[in-house]
Amino acid sequence: MHETTHPVRVTTGFFMFELKICLNFWDTSCQLISFTDFYEAKENTGTMEPQTKRWKGSECDTDSWVAYPVLSDEQSQDVELIEAFAAPIVDKKETSRLVRELNGLYPLNGLQHIKRVRAVKGSLHPLEVLVCLVSEAPDLKEASIDSLLPSGGVKHDGLGQPFVVTVPARPPLTRPQFELVRKHWPTSFHEDKQVTVALRGELFSPPQKARMHTYMTSALTAARTGSELGMEAVGAVMVDPVMERIIAVGHDCRGDHPLHHAVMVCIDLVARSQGGGCYPFDRYPGCSFQKLPDAEASPQPYICTGYDLYVTREPCVMCAMALVHSRIGRVFYGTASADGAFGSKYKIHSQKDLNHRFEVYKGVLGKQCEDLNCVDQHINNKTSQHSR
Amino acid sequence: MGTEEGRYRLSADSAEGFLPSDEEIEKWMDSAFGMAKDALENGEVPVGCLMVYNDEVVGKGRNEVNETKNATRHAEMVALDQLLDWCGGCSLDVSSVCERTALYVTVEPCIMCAAALRLLNIPVVVYGCRNERFGGCGSVLDVSSADLPQTGSAFKCVSGHRADEAVEMLKTFYKQENPNGDQKLFFCLSFIVSFPMSPYLIFPHLNIFCLFGIFCSSSLRSFFQLYLVS
Repeated sequence: MHETTHPVRVTTGFFMFELKICLNFWDTSCQLISFTDFYEAKENTGTMEPQTKRWKGSECDTDSWVAYPVLSDEQSQDVELIEAFAAPIVDKKETSRLVRELNGLYPLNGLQHIKRVRAVKGSLHPLEVLVCLVSEAPDLKEASIDSLLPSGGVKHDGLGQPFVVTVPARPPLTRPQFELVRKHWPTSFHEDKQVTVALRGELFSPPQKARMHTYMTSALTAARTGSELGMEAVGAVMVDPVMERIIAVGHDCRGDHPLHHAVMVCIDLVARSQGGGCYPFDRYPGCSFQKLPDAEASPQPYICTGYDLYVTREPCVMCAMALVHSRIGRVFYGTASADGAFGSKYKIHSQKDLNHRFEVYKGVLGKQCEDLNCVDQHINNKTSQHSR
Repeated sequence: MGTEEGRYRLSADSAEGFLPSDEEIEKWMDSAFGMAKDALENGEVPVGCLMVYNDEVVGKGRNEVNETKNATRHAEMVALDQLLDWCGGCSLDVSSVCERTALYVTVEPCIMCAAALRLLNIPVVVYGCRNERFGGCGSVLDVSSADLPQTGSAFKCVSGHRADEAVEMLKTFYKQENPNGDQKLFFCLSFIVSFPMSPYLIFPHLNIFCLFGIFCSSSLRSFFQLYLVS
């Protein structure tokens, strides 16, 4: 791995721009800086004070954003609660017998995550046992121990009067869900540590964040280049995370073709990098790809396998499904979009019936990506003024 | 091959009023099935797809995923590109052409293609069989009628036209797709069954786990080949 880093400093009038660039991105990055330089120089001829401040000391900028995972509905929504009858254990010595006999009579099938007995602090009876679900109970009108436990099966000795509690209908999948359901009834939880850390926004180390910052900065630059051509300000960058190199950079081209969204452009550029592809994007200076030396030798059936995509805003349904077809590794986006398919309208990356699922993170350089919409409006206003 | 009304699913909001007649559906679906048959005979995914504007075919597509290494080159996307080129060639306004264009396809468009059709405001899609793995007109997601204000407009679906025939073609394709893999596997297995000790005679260091590995790898390969074509 080339870990040598070259701090590059570009100063144009009002602002200072500092970037740490790995040696193997040298070519792309040089281009990137020249674009940024050009764009910023133009922008700064007006009064763009806030932007100047934001760009100052970009090393600290990685602290200005947090990448949060976009989890599936099962992981992010509250766990459904169902009602059940519980009863205090009056005689502690009977506990093991009661649990054994209750398990025989009411096995609580499909609810293995629920503990049968809970300890209650500061109560007259320190233990309470789950008798059965309300839906399983034979007579709902009068819930007494006699009606819940018909003769035989379970001896009532040591059980108090039943009462209704709520228990989770399915096991909790994340720590926040677990914290919520455990307040109702003790529940077992097999923690996915990565999800817990990711939900805290601490999954990526500072060096990883610095790299993500660089990639998203290229996407932002591409977005601005496209926007100068009258396209929507959206940029996308495909990265090989193992080799730590940019495979393709693309921006929205829907002014010339209604389906050439940034992600679709990027996917075709990746195909080009592997000797395929079907559109010439050469006339767009903001769209580029790196030809892989061993492209022909190793034909990959699914071109984006293992790659990371950085895109300034949440992809639409078409682009999201295109990424599923391309077997993308992970997706990072900056800001949400109204019809977005990675969290806003759908969660295509965690759709049960689809055969490829992957991780999606949002919020990478969120503020800057959101500001692109303003750039869009700014340019639209300019063109409309012009046409008037 | 009648058009059985009962099997059609029409979206509720058909305010536009643009709907091909039964005769048109019959006629254009017949050509779509012809294309699918052609594809099948040439060892390609048997999906036929055409876009019709003003009683004229303005886009025709077949799956081009393998030759372009671009997994988004489904037949519908190729046909949409042709439609756009056609509009360019005749210097016609794309949006006014699209809103009077119908898509005829033998298999339900996938989620991506359904969204692309929405983005271009295609009003009607006529398809044969459902696409249980990727379908975007109700099978996996219903993109065709969903409330997506920034993704073009919803479109009407006319489904079930010669569905069994479309499924049959896909099945035939999947069966003939892996002749090599399956034949080799069959040969290998039948050899082992007829002469249980033979592999050990040829390769004395071979053990049962190796054989299991060979079996797994060949079945895995045919499994992946199945994935590749869809």
